Amino acid sequence: MEKINDIKIKTALEVLNSHDDSKLISHLNSCVHCGLCAKTCLYYLTIGDERFIPARKVELVSSIYRRYFTVMGKVLPALVSARKLDDKMIEEMVDLLYGGCVMCGRCVRHCSIGVDIEYVVRKGREMLAKMGYVPESLQSTVKAALETGNNMGISYEDFVDTIEWMEEELQEECNDPEARIPLNEPGKNVLYTLNPREPKFFPLSISAMAKVFYLAKESWTLSTNMYDVTNYAYFSSHPGEAKAIAQRMYDEMQNMKSGRLVLAECGHGVRSNRWEAPNYIEKGFFFEALTSVELIAEYIRKGRIRPDRERMKDAVTLHDPCNLARGSGIVEEQRYILKNCVSNFVEMTPHGTDNFCCGGGGGQLAMSEYNDRRLKIAELKVRQIRKTGAAIVVTPCHNCIDQLTQINVTYNLNIQIKTLAEIVADSLPVLKE
Amino acid sequence: MPTIEIEEKVFEVDGNGFLTHPEIWDEEVARLIAKYDGINELTDQHWAVINIIRKNYEEKGMAPMIRQICKSAGLKLRQIYELFPLGPARGACRVAGLPKPDGCV
Repeated sequence: MEKINDIKIKTALEVLNSHDDSKLISHLNSCVHCGLCAKTCLYYLTIGDERFIPARKVELVSSIYRRYFTVMGKVLPALVSARKLDDKMIEEMVDLLYGGCVMCGRCVRHCSIGVDIEYVVRKGREMLAKMGYVPESLQSTVKAALETGNNMGISYEDFVDTIEWMEEELQEECNDPEARIPLNEPGKNVLYTLNPREPKFFPLSISAMAKVFYLAKESWTLSTNMYDVTNYAYFSSHPGEAKAIAQRMYDEMQNMKSGRLVLAECGHGVRSNRWEAPNYIEKGFFFEALTSVELIAEYIRKGRIRPDRERMKDAVTLHDPCNLARGSGIVEEQRYILKNCVSNFVEMTPHGTDNFCCGGGGGQLAMSEYNDRRLKIAELKVRQIRKTGAAIVVTPCHNCIDQLTQINVTYNLNIQIKTLAEIVADSLPVLKE
Repeated sequence: MPTIEIEEKVFEVDGNGFLTHPEIWDEEVARLIAKYDGINELTDQHWAVINIIRKNYEEKGMAPMIRQICKSAGLKLRQIYELFPLGPARGACRVAGLPKPDGCV
């Protein structure tokens, strides 16, 4: 790791010195050390090491704050547990803030006084990002997005070729040679987005959502220019890079003259595009941003699509992506959809806003450095899934899907894992006109 | 640097088990990584997928699109997922000796 120097320290401290972030300062100074957060954290519950207790992660950041911004911290640092920002501190921060937190926010929900621990972790990550300490594998994904327009570096030709292929699948499925996946058509109601792993490796969710749009008779389009729903700079927490990516989506909404930005099944994509983006780019949206989950629920409610729940008789359970349920308040819509699309829906315990992360959140899936921890903390999710006895786990997040796919093999779960669009598409009969 | 040991051979890998030095890859390495993933025998279909991925990596420095894999190997999408239960990225690309692709994989 590159040694710390005065310039780096100065840049990092600017994050804590910000006069317009009174929230950060009050949350850094409010922890009462009650310890309730310990037993809400995946890392502490499965690994058992006290370093992983969420309050300890807050303490890392607040001890730096005390050292440089309080009189006692400057004069008698040992007395108030104020710590210098040095190489040892950096090592600890990288290990615990990047490598020891899925940013699931479960601790925040259980905090006795409401400290936004996840926010403090993000600010700690921001300090590290500004000093250039983002783990290499995470930064490589951010870099791909910044340089190529999508986080997997997919070329224009490859993208179009894949979409045309999925359009053929759609036509076959709907028995209609006119069924289409529109590309770059301005003035449509909906600009739809994708997680790049869909075109790259798992395109069935594209044709599934296209089938939903087709049957709902939606006016929609994809844009080849900007379709990537992810913003990995949300995870690295580099504000400038997060802003650059968020700005692209905003600009594309202007180019395409769409009224509704529909965010694909991607937890952090929803969080970063819908809630964080206006902060990153420092302006409000002139359009409506919503998730495909809410849109599908709307279609069912209005009778625009008519699922047949008898088609799926296997027991189906739901994994709530943290950024969707806890982070965005979308809890009932996915349940409403599933209850309409499958005949045997079983809940995990706990679920909804108290659900456990799959273990792949917070950028963990991209960070090879902490792979062993990621598989270890998944033990809780494995136990939850086993208890339901479900054959199929549905989750509206491609990141969760990849983590679940891996733990399915690692822990011999013997389940199928599907996106919500896939399960909905399977439940929709195609009626001949 | 993490390593994995299969049949007494040790490989340097990243935390996710992708080869650190893709250039050491050969057919024997592919067979061993596959075995580590529970694929006991690599069939002609497996090899068709592996060879396409490998060729694309050597020419363009990245994994091919799943579209390219299906087209060149003459396989259906579902067959690829059946051949490699961990999927095209964590499964097939890893057996083909590629570094971990960026993104949600």
